[in-house]
Amino acid sequence: MKRIYALIIAFLLALPMSANAADLLVAQAANFMPAMQEIIPAFKKATGIEVQATYTSTGKLYAQITNGAPFDLFLAADERRPKKLFDAGLAEKPFVYAKGKVVFWSMDKKLAEESWQEAIKSKKLHKVAIANVETAPYGTAAMMALKKEKLWDTVKPELVYAQSIAQTFQFASTGAADAGFCAYSSVFTEVGKKGAFTVVKEAPPVIQAACILKSSKNKAAVEKFVTFLSSPEVISIKKKYGYD
Amino acid sequence: MDLYPLYISAKLAVATTLFIPVVAAPAAYILAFCNFRGKSLIDAVVSLPMVLPPTVLGFGLLIVMGPKGPLGGFWRELTGERMVFSFSGVLLASLVYNLPFAVQPMRAAFEKLDIRLLENSAVLGLSSTATFFRVVLPNSLPGLAASAMLVFAHSLGEFGVILMVGGSIPGSTKVASIAIYEAVEAMRYDDALYMSLAIIPVSFMALLAINRLNKISRRRS
Repeated sequence: MKRIYALIIAFLLALPMSANAADLLVAQAANFMPAMQEIIPAFKKATGIEVQATYTSTGKLYAQITNGAPFDLFLAADERRPKKLFDAGLAEKPFVYAKGKVVFWSMDKKLAEESWQEAIKSKKLHKVAIANVETAPYGTAAMMALKKEKLWDTVKPELVYAQSIAQTFQFASTGAADAGFCAYSSVFTEVGKKGAFTVVKEAPPVIQAACILKSSKNKAAVEKFVTFLSSPEVISIKKKYGYD
Repeated sequence: MDLYPLYISAKLAVATTLFIPVVAAPAAYILAFCNFRGKSLIDAVVSLPMVLPPTVLGFGLLIVMGPKGPLGGFWRELTGERMVFSFSGVLLASLVYNLPFAVQPMRAAFEKLDIRLLENSAVLGLSSTATFFRVVLPNSLPGLAASAMLVFAHSLGEFGVILMVGGSIPGSTKVASIAIYEAVEAMRYDDALYMSLAIIPVSFMALLAINRLNKISRRRS
């Protein structure tokens, strides 16, 4: 019996080691996850370098980084946060790695067939999901489009606020909300294909910037990865998920 | 700073504490006094919300309570309203989430009762409902109060489940924990700090009260 316990303990102790085997740790804004999950294996194939990514909201990643989280690279969903890290001397100069688009997505195909403005005016919508307009760049961009079209006051009582663009899509795709202002990338997921969408052309593009963190101990590997991000291979992956 | 989230949290905590005995008391009663096949099954179902990750419970509730879900659909027929993203919906989620935290102390209080009290009450011809209200309840008050305080404090701090079914609507479902989370995300760290400072002493007082009540009930038995 004792030997079994010893074995179990040895096994548990060995686990974290294999989890830390990655050469690069990337802090990735959640909206880019579908594309990133193709980019990482492609990079491994090209260079043999192992990359591990944490996917969550830009705000949370920023708070983790300023408190010493051991990431090598920060791929944000906005330009603001990488710039703040650069200004604080925590990161190298930021660069743009993707431009995202806001789409109006609904499980109800009829709703998304009309223009999104018509759908909102028609009052067929009771709840519309939007990402937090203060913290989530896709939420801010959607709000700007709504204000530009003078629909903000009309739609405001119907809005439900998600903490991230991923949760926005969750609200819309479970039918809890009738429609949502989502990221173009979520349209390409399994569930996303079951609904319908129109691109919100009035929303400004969501410019996503990245920065290498000064605390990174793998400078050579991280620079290779950054170069890889602008390779033709990655550009075509980005296109596939609706990024410019 | 917006103080509304604190108000909503307080409202949710009070409402949860008031409504939960309706479900929790019968469950605790059955678990404490009855013996039947499948009792451990009911025990496990009641305790499940305590061990499930809040995100799992929240996602499940989002689907069940959504307009296409069984519960949400029924609610919609009944009231014409949507259950998710409303205060009633958040309250229901809170009741589910808090059930084990209400049932366990209640059950413990019931089980501590002197069995002779119940036997006497049966000999004297009281119905089981009368026994419950006139013998069981008065004799397990400290335990019930401890259960209420635990539920109150727990509802004040609730996050994961409400994040899923609430939708952070100002003045309706945006509770303090979510407002704090959003403040951190928006780099308004001062707001997050002040709101946390409002929650901590209240929760601390509740815990002190629970300890006190537990002591009283131990002395009694």
